[in-house]
Amino acid sequence: MAKLQKIYADLDLTFRKVPGTNDVALRYDDQAVVSAIRYLLMTNFHERPFQPTLGSNMNAMLFEPSSGVMASMLKDEISNVISNFETRATINEIMVNTTSDGQGFSISLSVFIGNNTTPTNISLLLQRTR
Amino acid sequence: MSNSNNQIQVANLDFTGIKKNFITYLQSQDTFKGYNFAGSALSTLLDVLAYNTQYNGMYLNLVANEMFLDSAVKRSSVVSHAKLLNYTPKSAIGPVAIVNVAFVGVSGSYYTIPQYTNFLSESVDGVNYNYVTTDSHSTQIANGNATFSNIGLKQGTLESYTFSVDTNTNPSCIFEIPDSQIDTSTLSVLVQQSSTNSSYQIYTSSTDYLSITPTDTVYFVQESTKGNYQIYFGDGILGAQLNSGNIVKINYISTSGSSGGGANNFSLMDNLAPFSSYTITPVQAASMGQDKETIDSIKFQAPKAFAAQGRAVSKNDYITAIQQNSLGIQFDAVSVWGGEENIPPAYGQVFVALKPKGAYDLTTTQKQMIVSQVLKPISVLTVEPTIVSPDYTYIQVTANVLFQQAQTTSTPSNIQDKVTSALYGYSTSKLNTFNSTFSSSDVLSTISSVDKAIITSDFTLNLQKKFYPNLSTPTTYKLYCGVGLKKGVVQSGVTSTPAIQVKDPSNPTNIIDSVFIEEVPAPTNGISSISILNPGFNYQLSPTLTILGDGTGATATATIINGSINKVKITNAGVGYTSAVVTVTPAAGDTTGVNGALLVSLDGQYGTLRTYYNNAQNAKTVLNSNIGTIDYINGIITLNNFSPVNVDNALGQLTITVTPITTIISSSYNKIITIDPFDAGAVSVSVNAKRN
Repeated sequence: MAKLQKIYADLDLTFRKVPGTNDVALRYDDQAVVSAIRYLLMTNFHERPFQPTLGSNMNAMLFEPSSGVMASMLKDEISNVISNFETRATINEIMVNTTSDGQGFSISLSVFIGNNTTPTNISLLLQRTR
Repeated sequence: MSNSNNQIQVANLDFTGIKKNFITYLQSQDTFKGYNFAGSALSTLLDVLAYNTQYNGMYLNLVANEMFLDSAVKRSSVVSHAKLLNYTPKSAIGPVAIVNVAFVGVSGSYYTIPQYTNFLSESVDGVNYNYVTTDSHSTQIANGNATFSNIGLKQGTLESYTFSVDTNTNPSCIFEIPDSQIDTSTLSVLVQQSSTNSSYQIYTSSTDYLSITPTDTVYFVQESTKGNYQIYFGDGILGAQLNSGNIVKINYISTSGSSGGGANNFSLMDNLAPFSSYTITPVQAASMGQDKETIDSIKFQAPKAFAAQGRAVSKNDYITAIQQNSLGIQFDAVSVWGGEENIPPAYGQVFVALKPKGAYDLTTTQKQMIVSQVLKPISVLTVEPTIVSPDYTYIQVTANVLFQQAQTTSTPSNIQDKVTSALYGYSTSKLNTFNSTFSSSDVLSTISSVDKAIITSDFTLNLQKKFYPNLSTPTTYKLYCGVGLKKGVVQSGVTSTPAIQVKDPSNPTNIIDSVFIEEVPAPTNGISSISILNPGFNYQLSPTLTILGDGTGATATATIINGSINKVKITNAGVGYTSAVVTVTPAAGDTTGVNGALLVSLDGQYGTLRTYYNNAQNAKTVLNSNIGTIDYINGIITLNNFSPVNVDNALGQLTITVTPITTIISSSYNKIITIDPFDAGAVSVSVNAKRN
């Protein structure tokens, strides 16, 4: 896999320190884009000021019955949010499956970042935490 | 790195613009490159920064706006700025009705209607409003009857509050009245010594700080930040100071403001001293109510009140003082002019014409109160304020409208309704006040703006003067139309409605019904008089006078005294003149007479009015061939010693209709031109549809 040469640089929202320099840690290239996709997916509509359509409606979907229909809707939602707001990534494949206990969704996302021909995989597990 | 981007722009106040400025700035660095992607962490931080910037910007903008009277939006800010100008916003004001009340079957010497006696109005827009007497009224009982005339009833209900004075917890002695509908003109305040000492003193409202002594029992009124009114008291220097333990008791009328206006019939709600029956006769329907002063009105009035400084010197001072009066009388319009402008001049006087809100004119008592309580105390010593009634000239519009049916779904009837309504609306917004102008272009544009399908329109105009003839004493009336009048011909000209009844001049015991006033059709004009402009000199013989014009037959002779023209005699008035000049030619053989110049006046400046009726055979019969004149040039109708016995109208109102020579009609001084909103016939519209 050809490594990207720090075309993209972003803050790490965990604000962890870089040992030694004590600077705020940064994320570069595919890491930065993966973080951005995660943030977008976890952002609800109307969460960001004056940008009501930014984000996805995934949180609201988690209160619906776990079913194939919901999985399909989640897939569409993910596809929309990436194509609308993350122009650095091109979707290769999205797989959404219900977890074995039927209480969550396992999401496998494969995207091409920038001009990279090798897909980057992102895994997400959506389930209730309490 | 671009030099143009290394300074952050701060001109924008909207969120998108601020964020864009941040992004433009970040383009000049290369540490963070994710600023332009919505999901990046940096974008999230930029959102927070932009939101915070906008929040602060908006807050500062709001604060800056609220700092000035012109730009303040919040009522509390506007009121606060007005307070610096010594202006207290006007409260809601209850409309007042005037009634006569008669009780039958009462006993004793005097009968009293106490203050705050409750009456219930007839339904106004589905609501029966409570009215109260603002004063106590007593009258002598005669034959078991008690009759009260011109009792004022104010819309609202009596409210009372009691406040205890504690200078420790409320050292300023400010008491807020928790009622936004208070009519402050009805506020009465008394201060009881203490809970154990019931002696009390009445406190009066004061706005004139120059005349207050340390012992004056006065209170002041201001509007609070909550929009209620507060009363507060003196500090021992400006007015008497309250002490701990004092009890402040207030009464006032809480009103519905303008919405209770129009009520004319009332019933008594309280139990008074025994009576067998009562009648309440309306004199004047409830009017002059007003809602609490609006923010816009405060912004408009406060600087003017400040400019007047409690004195009436200029016209604007008078207008401001009247608009601000504490009598609870509201005005739609005020017109003020100096006596030197008056016709005829009346030096040392200021004339004031007032159009009260919701009424045509003030009562005599109200006029006296305005003069004595509002104007006299602040006017210059040598200037006498005089209130003049508004002189209404009513406009009657007959409009023709042509519209393209294909361009609208409206029917001719719809268009007719809309045009009628628009014309009444035009009157309300542009006329119906002093110093206004009725113009044909305004009327035509009003009509054409009703619907895009209207192709064209025109209109004709009549003017109406309405008055209440004195039925008992012959009276001379002068009706000023304010514009030249068209000379009537047969079947047109001045007319009157409704019919009147008059005594037969030949037999005064005989009352003749269905009498009308009309203009005597104007005769063809001849020469009325010839006046001497220049008598000339050195005339040896009477010069020859030649009258030239578009008529025929007029001749005149001149008499000479000491070589000058002394007198001109018309020997034949001639006929058909609408314009004429006269030339003076020395007689044959007179070689020295020069410079004589004369001026011709034609018949026709004045027309004649007569009364007529149709006799049993339906033939027009002239009753009085000369009851007055029409001054066509100055637009003045005069009825001499007019003495009808009755006017066939519930109000006893007679209307004289005339036709003006122009469609541009302007009002000044006390003149008001308007389309009468209560006259359904004031606007007549005929609509024709063009169908291809």
